[in-house]
Amino acid sequence: MGIAAAYLMWAMAAQAAPQAPPARQAPREAAPIDVTGNWVSVVTEDWRWRMLIPKRGDYSSVPLNPEGRKVADQWDPAKLASDGCKAYGAAAIMRVPGRLQIGWESDATLRIETDAGQQIRHLRFGKSAEAPAERTWQGRSVAEWDRIRAPGGLGVSLQQGPGRPGALKVVTTNLKAGYLRKNGVPYGEDTMVTEYFDRLSAYGTDWLTVFTIVEDPQYLNQPFITSTHFKREPDRSKWRPTPCEPGSAPAAASERPAK
Amino acid sequence: MRQAIRAGLFLAAILKAGAAFAQIDLSGEWAATFHEDLPHRGGVRLGDYTGLPLNEAGWRKAQSWDEDARSTPERQCIPHVVTYALRGPATIRFTKLIDAVSGELQAYYLHGSYGRPRTIWMDGREHPSDLAPHTWGGFSTGTWERNTLVVSTTHIKTGWLLRNGAPTSDLATMQEYFTRYGDYLLATVFVNDPVYLEEPFIRTSNFVLSLPSNADAWGNCGPAQITDELGGRAKGTVPHYLPGQTAHIQEFLSQSGVPAEAARGGAATTYPEYMAKLENPSQLDNRLFLPPAPGKSFPRVAPPQTEVAGEIRVLPVQGNVYLLAGAGGNIAVQIGEDGVLLVDSGSGAVNDKVMAALRTLANKPIRMIVNTHAHPDHMGGNERLAAAGNSTGGGRPSDAPRAGALIIAHKAVLDAVSAPTGKQPAMPFGAWPTEGYPGDSKELFFDGEAIQLFHVPAAHTDGDSLVFFRRSDVIATGDIFVTTSYPVIGKGGSLNGVIAGLNRILDITIPKDWQEGGTMVIPGHGRIADEADVVEYRDMVTIIRDRIQDMIRKGMTLEQVLAARPTVEYDARYGSETGPWTTRMFIEAAYQGLSQNR
Repeated sequence: MGIAAAYLMWAMAAQAAPQAPPARQAPREAAPIDVTGNWVSVVTEDWRWRMLIPKRGDYSSVPLNPEGRKVADQWDPAKLASDGCKAYGAAAIMRVPGRLQIGWESDATLRIETDAGQQIRHLRFGKSAEAPAERTWQGRSVAEWDRIRAPGGLGVSLQQGPGRPGALKVVTTNLKAGYLRKNGVPYGEDTMVTEYFDRLSAYGTDWLTVFTIVEDPQYLNQPFITSTHFKREPDRSKWRPTPCEPGSAPAAASERPAK
Repeated sequence: MRQAIRAGLFLAAILKAGAAFAQIDLSGEWAATFHEDLPHRGGVRLGDYTGLPLNEAGWRKAQSWDEDARSTPERQCIPHVVTYALRGPATIRFTKLIDAVSGELQAYYLHGSYGRPRTIWMDGREHPSDLAPHTWGGFSTGTWERNTLVVSTTHIKTGWLLRNGAPTSDLATMQEYFTRYGDYLLATVFVNDPVYLEEPFIRTSNFVLSLPSNADAWGNCGPAQITDELGGRAKGTVPHYLPGQTAHIQEFLSQSGVPAEAARGGAATTYPEYMAKLENPSQLDNRLFLPPAPGKSFPRVAPPQTEVAGEIRVLPVQGNVYLLAGAGGNIAVQIGEDGVLLVDSGSGAVNDKVMAALRTLANKPIRMIVNTHAHPDHMGGNERLAAAGNSTGGGRPSDAPRAGALIIAHKAVLDAVSAPTGKQPAMPFGAWPTEGYPGDSKELFFDGEAIQLFHVPAAHTDGDSLVFFRRSDVIATGDIFVTTSYPVIGKGGSLNGVIAGLNRILDITIPKDWQEGGTMVIPGHGRIADEADVVEYRDMVTIIRDRIQDMIRKGMTLEQVLAARPTVEYDARYGSETGPWTTRMFIEAAYQGLSQNR
């Protein structure tokens, strides 16, 4: 082996070393970021459409197609109470002002509980993400830790490693049709929701951001893209459970995930 | 064999470069998506501050904002300030600046969305001194954290969060987080402004990769493009709404159904528990106009100090002119072949340090000191600094230097510091101007450039001069303009005189494109500024003058005016409850002066 070849091998090894894929780890163990904890939405955007119930026909910012506008225009505010959990499905729940508690239900399943609407989402990694028998408000969510491939120099073949650790990516399908906003702005049951959950700290505070892409061939003319932010809270002392359907029971304490 | 070694080293070098580039690539054109907050990004309504964690000072300043202000000549070319720019309706572009030799990433350029081009330095450099100028784009440094470019920005001009007057101060800073998810880009922006916000404001903006776009497609705006959009209004008019004028707010409330309390914003309105309050309107304070609570104070927010207090700091300003700060009032220094010219000499307490600082700039004698006015923090160093220098010429038969530098000021300054024989003067003889010029101006030529002195009567004092270095394109303003406090109204001064002086400065300054740079301004106290900073200050002083004038017109007493707090939204930035010049003293002086003008 010549000097050049040896140096080349050293360089390649040095390149690869920091990016070596970890041995098979459970998703919980492999988490590059910690999304667990108590979070509160801070409504600094779309305030009028999130904190208040907008008027019928006010679908500002939502890329509805003509069919979607037609459905939205037919919404009856008098029947708001009977809308139940339509505005709390996975395509909208992150935009509903409220609090989240996120924890690991198992090594491969994250659980998100909301106080607004008292919804529970299960984000399942890998093969644990089996499709439920029927469509639900929260649908079927398949999770993975996103990694950003970073080929450079000579290109993919030599440098394709596990990439840099990224966000929590979640793709949700199998949804019941619902509302993007409480004033009847619709999404259909073929909707696919892609979300990136990420973490950051600024000015001494921890934040969770959720980048959401809603694709609905029935009512949208392009992907509906929003990003929502949540501030960390120390505990559940401000938890204010409000069911979205009259008479529905709050989540029992035993159902709450471990912190 | 040699060829193989060369090839191997080449390959290894490329791989090493690959490692250096291992951050996510943000390069390219990114088109904004508008699926959030659309009404806040296009024609946002006056009175709509929903979702903004404004404090009382913030929403009061917002409510006084008149859209016509944007049409004044000094504001027509203002671009989107960085605290707002990513919300603009256009594409942004990230470009890498790579060092040609090392291959290392030096910086990102961020263009677009009607903001000014920004450089995000990635080379680990420090942020500038707190005395350095502020710009619309600020000064940004970045680092990569995991999958995110984290950008820290300081030195931002007074600006806004929304284009309806929701304000940010020049003490605001930003943290930005740029994260790429496939062909999408998330920009999470925090604005921290202790002057106008109750807590840091967070906003997320979304972009999609858009290769055919062009982030620079909208052309230019500079003095040549400015037109008379407010025909018939007197020069120096500052459009604004007086307290209690609420029609512009009422219009938004009526059309949107948003309660008045919520429309004012505030941190509490951004949390879910506020929804319970919205469901019980009796709990809301929906008065359209809330009189300021008497006695409530807004403590002064201290600007960041990046260097040791008491030390002389030297900053280049422009051309041959430098700023020396830390000796009392600011000292402007002009350096050239002829020697050193000072505008003001500080308090005199740290003359040795001033001399040492001057020696770092040039090994030349002080030839002239120009005093902007007669206060000891600006001419206390005269005696010793003048004595340490010397002047030339003077019509003597030889060209030997004459001991002592010339001291030039308006005649009123000489009158203020001198005294007839036998009487006690305000300053020792050696500190007196060697020439007190009469009238309204004086011309100098020194170090290869023309220098104009303009007297502004009855402003900060009765003897103020503006000093304009024509080639360097720098004005030293004395205390007619400061960035640290409300204007001090001294002996022989007046609020209207200060405003006239500020407008005089604006007559002289000419900004470069996008209302930035161009003529630079050295204030009597505080940081280096440009025309846009003077405009903000002029507007503030004019608005306060208009309010007090209106109150006097209504027959209000001084105590009633003080209780009405006509300065309320500016107190955290410029006010003071203690010290030699308090907010109360400022209002009293303004009231007394304006009452005499009735």
